[in-house]
Amino acid sequence: MRFSLFLGCNIPARVPQYELSARAVLHKLGVELADNPDFKCCGNPIRNADHKTFMLMALRNLALAERQGLDMLVLCMCCFGSLKKAAHLMERDSALREEMNELLAREGLTYSGRVAVKHFLSVLYHDVGTGALKEKTTRPFKGVKIAAHYGCHALRPSDVTHFDDPVAPVLFEELVSLTGARSLEWPLKLECCGAPLLGVNDRLSMEMTAKKLADAKRVGADYLCVACPYCHLQFDRVQQMMVSLRDTNSRLCTVVYPQLLGLAMGIEGNALGIDMNVLDMSSIVSFLE
Amino acid sequence: MYHNILLYLAFAVCGVGLIYRIAGWFRYSIGIHDPNITTSVRITAALKALLSAVFSQRLLTLVRVLITDVLFQNHIRKQDVLRWAMHMLIYAAFTFLVFLHALDEIITTSLFQKYYLALNPFLLFAGFMVIAGIAVAVYRRFVLKVPRIKTDPMDSFVLILLAVIVLSGIALELTKLTSYTHYQRIWNIHFLTCLLGLAYLPFSKFFHMLSTPVSLLVNAVMDKNSDPANVKTRQIMELDACMHCGNCSNRCSVAVAYDRIGNENILPSERMKFLKNFIARKDIGAGGLAAIQEGIYLCTNCDRCTVICPAGINLRDLWVNVREEVIQRGHGVSLMLTPFSYYRGLNRQERDPEQYDEPLRKSLEAVTRPFGLTARTDEPIPLGRAAAEFKERAGFSVWTGSYSFCFSCENCSTVCPVVGNYENPEQALDLLPHQIIRSLGLGIKELAMGSRMLWFCLTCYQCQEHCPQGVKVTDIFYELKNSAVMERGCYPASNGSVQRDAK
Repeated sequence: MRFSLFLGCNIPARVPQYELSARAVLHKLGVELADNPDFKCCGNPIRNADHKTFMLMALRNLALAERQGLDMLVLCMCCFGSLKKAAHLMERDSALREEMNELLAREGLTYSGRVAVKHFLSVLYHDVGTGALKEKTTRPFKGVKIAAHYGCHALRPSDVTHFDDPVAPVLFEELVSLTGARSLEWPLKLECCGAPLLGVNDRLSMEMTAKKLADAKRVGADYLCVACPYCHLQFDRVQQMMVSLRDTNSRLCTVVYPQLLGLAMGIEGNALGIDMNVLDMSSIVSFLE
Repeated sequence: MYHNILLYLAFAVCGVGLIYRIAGWFRYSIGIHDPNITTSVRITAALKALLSAVFSQRLLTLVRVLITDVLFQNHIRKQDVLRWAMHMLIYAAFTFLVFLHALDEIITTSLFQKYYLALNPFLLFAGFMVIAGIAVAVYRRFVLKVPRIKTDPMDSFVLILLAVIVLSGIALELTKLTSYTHYQRIWNIHFLTCLLGLAYLPFSKFFHMLSTPVSLLVNAVMDKNSDPANVKTRQIMELDACMHCGNCSNRCSVAVAYDRIGNENILPSERMKFLKNFIARKDIGAGGLAAIQEGIYLCTNCDRCTVICPAGINLRDLWVNVREEVIQRGHGVSLMLTPFSYYRGLNRQERDPEQYDEPLRKSLEAVTRPFGLTARTDEPIPLGRAAAEFKERAGFSVWTGSYSFCFSCENCSTVCPVVGNYENPEQALDLLPHQIIRSLGLGIKELAMGSRMLWFCLTCYQCQEHCPQGVKVTDIFYELKNSAVMERGCYPASNGSVQRDAK
């Protein structure tokens, strides 16, 4: 099993522990990753302003993966949603397809739709398989309560992303459970983390985050678990900022899913970057059997 | 005699020019800095930092960087061997020529008095090395044609001048014994181009042989806790350290946007050029301002340019700081209302709260006010056909026209987490999602486009997922936002080589 790894902009610059832990976990599971230094921004940030520029930015990455002859493994959910959206529109709009391929041709690229775009969690769940994962969890957690946060752009619009059932998804919670952790049911698990509005309307953005944190705390979560750098930054760095801005003291730390899985697979914490979060979550190792 | 006068004149121009250029590092300022930091404060701070670096452990760092990065340029070799070979051929061989040939009266005669003639083949060989380096440079810039790497007249000038100096030098060696008149003529060309290069050095790309090492050394020892006075100086010096190699534009995460928008300021290397002029003349007109605002805001702060820069320039901090300066001017930047603002939000505590909010407020007002029908509560709004055009165009998504399926069940507004966040959502958002969709049905697109709801949308797709009629609510919002940005006329800011199709 071999994929072209798409990291996007945020992970290398601000959430390197996600890359580190995902690589460690996938390596142990025998999934090979090919790097492509030519990949650039997925186009998501410009969607508000110019759709066609967004399309070009997204498709250029797909075309590069197509040239590599590999399917894409995407860690960021916003990147994933963008790439899926672009591929979806290319399938349905022949005029757009022509226009975009003309622009891509200047770099000697072309996109014909042969690349499957997969989110990291989907690869674990479908391609590696929960059975194989379960086998590898040699050091499962015991007694830790986790609130799994799905993230919007992987789940919706479901007719584009095909990630899981948009109303009653199970994928992420099952992945959490097989590490031995207890995955909690919580009312706001499918809501947005607030990140898309940070920098635009910070109050609104932070209120979204605060609501989710309060909800997860209310059901007794020990940690949040995410699989997207934006969600992670929101629950980690922005939560820290909220603590100082809003003078609230209770914190709910977050782990990136491959950190959780990696620990349960017996990988050492420092190889998963568990000390790289802003809010210290390294005590999660005390829940290991 | 007149040769000597010219020589001293060239040295004088070069010396005065160097002083002038270096003084500029302490005189000008770019980005947001404390205005109380004056030139004299900056000079003192720089000297203090220099002394403290030399008399501390950081001296070891400086020596290491001087050897590995400045002299042997290992960091370039690791990135691109061809580029490294090109630069080393030119730089090493030319340095050799300068010391053993141009300064022969001072160096060569005292060192190799007896072997002077034996040195000639080496000089000739060095000349050919420079020519080989220039050939590689020409090949890289004009044959390889790496996308989005620009060559400007200064890049060409430097290569041509070097080529003339070295070729005339080689020709001199070869004609020495054959023809005196030819020799004399070529000698004049050789001598005069050398003087031209020398006199023009501080004002040309050649200046980077001084400024780039300074940048590499300074950035090796400066960190977050450095004196703000030195940061202010460094950021001006860094503009001079840029040798327009284009590495940053090649690696830039959003450079692809340039292919469609055509604004050169999107490319970091071209933005550096713009900023060099900007520091001396801040009055750049409305068009210039819009162009730099758009270019510098189209950035995901991925840090790739900073990591790759062979001159060691801290581009990350430079962009953030200059971006802050240019968004404080003018009437709002529509790109501020996109996730490109994310990094600014993450670091909001580094800004004065009022300075932080003001450009956002202006941008939101600028993008919603032209369509300000939401404010007209006292008179009826005429119904129109605008929405029909909107539906026909449908270039955005095959389902943009789906608004006409809406039967006003209000599910979208009910599930919207933004609407749910307010006691009185109409007051904070103008129209709610279902009202936006309905206003399209009524043919009042302007009403929808002036609504703050569009810009406070999280794009979480809850509305679209929950619509029983299959209305693509979130995608329609994207389309409306695109239209608002476009019709406000502030985007694209420039018309470059690639024309954006008019919607």
